[in-house]
Amino acid sequence: MDLYGDFLFKFALVRLRDPDQAEDLVQETFLAALKGADRFTGQAAEKSWLVGILKHKIFDFYRQAGREVSFTDLNFYADAEGESFSTRGLGKRSWIDDLGPVEWTANPGAGLDKEKFWRAFHACARKLPKKVSAVFCLREMDGLDCQEICDLLAVSESNLWVMLHRARMALRRCLETNWFEKNTSDQPGGKTNPANYQV
Amino acid sequence: MNSFLKTLRELSPNCRAAVRLQSEALDHPLSRSQRIGLRIHLALCVWCMRYGKHLKILRDTARQCEPDSEPERALSPQAKERIKRALVTGRK
Repeated sequence: MDLYGDFLFKFALVRLRDPDQAEDLVQETFLAALKGADRFTGQAAEKSWLVGILKHKIFDFYRQAGREVSFTDLNFYADAEGESFSTRGLGKRSWIDDLGPVEWTANPGAGLDKEKFWRAFHACARKLPKKVSAVFCLREMDGLDCQEICDLLAVSESNLWVMLHRARMALRRCLETNWFEKNTSDQPGGKTNPANYQV
Repeated sequence: MNSFLKTLRELSPNCRAAVRLQSEALDHPLSRSQRIGLRIHLALCVWCMRYGKHLKILRDTARQCEPDSEPERALSPQAKERIKRALVTGRK
């Protein structure tokens, strides 16, 4: 418990974003581990065995909790719709000049500033509505199939694609504003206007 | 040349749609016409091309996400006590 408690708690917290729920699931994980200790063959490392149990607990939690779209989700959809696209004229639904994506450095999570980067990453992820964040974690962190996520959360595939699109769009924009723009602002051409490229 | 570009633009989706299609391509195979339209768009639009790269970076990054990347968050001492008590009761 002293060895893995914090690790499991953080694992759950990233995915659930609620410290109380995360604590509950960590407790359930240890209880289940205690009961199933004789099934633990020692082949898998202790830590990944516990993470495996915790993952199942988290999926169960999603299954029970993730049935309806909350009001904040609807707000989020309205906001995300606005991105940086022009709403008028010839360039309608194109990126607005100077607001298009800037160049990113590759592999930011392993760079010299990785601690600061991850702080920005988690801060941005916390801004997503809970259900959208859950969908993003399941798909992009845990690598579940779309079908598995649909079954877990009882959402349709097309609904899931929209949620993932909005989550990626919001996270991308948040990271760009709060991380990449600050780190690339001194590079020439980081935010140039490629006038001839717009469609 | 101008009419050629015009035709290309007509075949290509707008940026907003191109951004959505690039996200969906990570989740399911696109139809042939969607693929062709998107490819034309990406050849012409550096912003949407960057957007696609960012989505891939985002995915690769999320896969690397370790719980310890948030060092300042941990179980409170009280929570640890609560869990230990529950484990003792659960064992009985």
